[in-house]
Amino acid sequence: MTSAVLGPPRPLRRRWGGLAPGLDRTLPTTAMFAAVAVLLGAGALPVTDGELVLAGLTTAFVAALVSRLVPRPAGAGDGGLIVPVTQLGAVALLGAGTGSAAALFLLLGPVFSLVTVPSRRGLVAAIVGSAAVLLVPELLAGGPYPPAELPGALVLGPLVVGLGGLAVNEAGRRAERQVAVIGRLETERAALLTQVQSRADELDLATRMLAARAQTMTSVIDAVTEQSIIGTDRDGVIRVWNPGAEKMLGLQRPDVVRKRSIVDFHLPDELAAEAANAGSDAGLAALVHAAQEHGSDVRDWTYVAADGERRTVSVAVTPRSDDRGEHAGWNFVGTDMTEARATERMKDQFVSLISHELRTPLSSILGYLELVMDDEAQPLTDEHRKFLTTVERNAQRLQRLVGDLLFTAQVEAGRFTLQPEDVDLAAVVRAAEETIRVLAATNGVDVHVDVPAEALVVPGDAVRLGQACDNLVSNAVKFTPAGGRVTLSLRAAWRAADGTVVADERPGSVPVAQLAVSDTGMGIPAGEQGELFTRFFRASTARRNAVPGVGLGLTITKAITTAHGGTLDLESAEGAGTTFTLTLPRPTA
Amino acid sequence: MDEAGSVRVLVADDEDDIRELVCLAIARAGATVVASVADGTAALAAARAELPDLAVLDVSMPGATGLEVCGALRADRATAGVRILLLSAGASLDDVARGLAAGADAYLAKPFQVAGLVHQVRALTARQPA
Repeated sequence: MTSAVLGPPRPLRRRWGGLAPGLDRTLPTTAMFAAVAVLLGAGALPVTDGELVLAGLTTAFVAALVSRLVPRPAGAGDGGLIVPVTQLGAVALLGAGTGSAAALFLLLGPVFSLVTVPSRRGLVAAIVGSAAVLLVPELLAGGPYPPAELPGALVLGPLVVGLGGLAVNEAGRRAERQVAVIGRLETERAALLTQVQSRADELDLATRMLAARAQTMTSVIDAVTEQSIIGTDRDGVIRVWNPGAEKMLGLQRPDVVRKRSIVDFHLPDELAAEAANAGSDAGLAALVHAAQEHGSDVRDWTYVAADGERRTVSVAVTPRSDDRGEHAGWNFVGTDMTEARATERMKDQFVSLISHELRTPLSSILGYLELVMDDEAQPLTDEHRKFLTTVERNAQRLQRLVGDLLFTAQVEAGRFTLQPEDVDLAAVVRAAEETIRVLAATNGVDVHVDVPAEALVVPGDAVRLGQACDNLVSNAVKFTPAGGRVTLSLRAAWRAADGTVVADERPGSVPVAQLAVSDTGMGIPAGEQGELFTRFFRASTARRNAVPGVGLGLTITKAITTAHGGTLDLESAEGAGTTFTLTLPRPTA
Repeated sequence: MDEAGSVRVLVADDEDDIRELVCLAIARAGATVVASVADGTAALAAARAELPDLAVLDVSMPGATGLEVCGALRADRATAGVRILLLSAGASLDDVARGLAAGADAYLAKPFQVAGLVHQVRALTARQPA
């Protein structure tokens, strides 16, 4: 809808101009005066007093001229009466000057002009004026009526003018009111038209924006070539099929949209197994039940391509709503994980290989070493014992490395399990100090232990927590030069709602145990601290100072801490030292 | 037990060095190795033939795995009472759980301490009814 169709409204007053008071209405009267002038000139009308006739005609023409030259301002009120009243005066003068009743016909023009003025004053002026026109000639020169008829004429003339004028005036006023109503309607129509035009413009803009947005969305979806984006209706019938889906499943959009179901690209057995597992219906319900329940779902599914090839795809399923917010269908965004999963399987196989192929020879090395070193029948010389102790230490180091590798592989694969029990952290910390005592003494590092005398119990896996604690303490000693100090500080504390750990219980806080392992060692450069818990990452300070290790200890410690619902924080300054703070939840009293 | 009252033990491991180490440990425990084999099938046959007091089985073996041998011994009335100690490079909780679920009496992860193995052999055979 546009303005061109509706067209601009035409001015109403121009169409109704004949009813409106205006200067043109004096024209017929002026013409009548001109006709009288011609008839007088031709001798068709008598002249009893030339001066009065001349005065009458002059008055009439001057009034006509003035009405032509002087524009009457809108809403001029009684100003509109002046010209017709003057013309009535002119008629009276002509009536007196001619003594002819014919001059009285000239009344019609100004009387009509007066009674069509909306104000009632025009009607009054017409009645009074017409009486004056009848009376003046009698007063000035003896009019056309015999004296006996004058009273009747004086009554009848104004009466006729009054009644007729009233009818005309009333009709004019009614017409004026209608004009006003029509004018108001016209204004409203114009306003409505403007509104409609405005709405039409807004609609046009919205339509274009919507089209642009749709185009943007389409171009974005079409730009995704390595992930399948499949949209379906509520019944699983495919409505959206992007180039990624074409590439992954080997079918073009026209061959799929509105023709195929998402279920067609899944293994029926896999869907049936999932349906049985979840207690849902088979088919589409098995695919979407988790997303329906939780709002979204990401898991591996097997897609079957057009050529029958099976792909392992990580599919994110989400419900889709229409513009009214009602469920309209499902979105399936898939990432081909076939290669990644194969790599993961290879990694698992590799870990199993390490597990068997390294642990088995280690068993022989350590086992036979033990037999030799513990053989009371054939005691070793001191030198041999020293050599074999070195062999044993390195074999145990290798064993720890294998254990760490296996452990991190288990964490990566999500197969890391805890054997929970009540663990006294104070005992764990003391044991860690005992374990490191020899190495610390050898390195000239003073280890100070500050743990509560009573037990500080947390729920956890004693072996794993011991491993985490050993890692932190071992790192601290290894990274601290001779003469330095390592402090193991354990305390019961509370974690406030904002995450800060405080010494005293506060409303909303939860009890925690906090172990801080501080050293005065070489520290960790600020730029490397974010990577410290990454597998195989070694700080530059460790490499520069030839601190032994492979970069698994902190990864493992972090994994153990996380598995216990705790946090592991780090504060370090290069050259000043490092503090690792391990915070674990403890039971509410 | 044999005539001398010694505990009779079957050892099965495809690694010769480990098998020999286990045999030495058993000897330290004062027990007698009645059969020492390198695969699961031979282990099952030896167990049925010798009816040992204790079978020390590696989990990963050719022929039949230690878990399969374990299950077969438990399923056979004649060998159901044989004490079983599994040895494995698998050290995770899942590995241990699988071993015990298969019917083993104890599970020892490699690398193991000889003293630990000796202790396990003594503990398992001490429970042997007279």
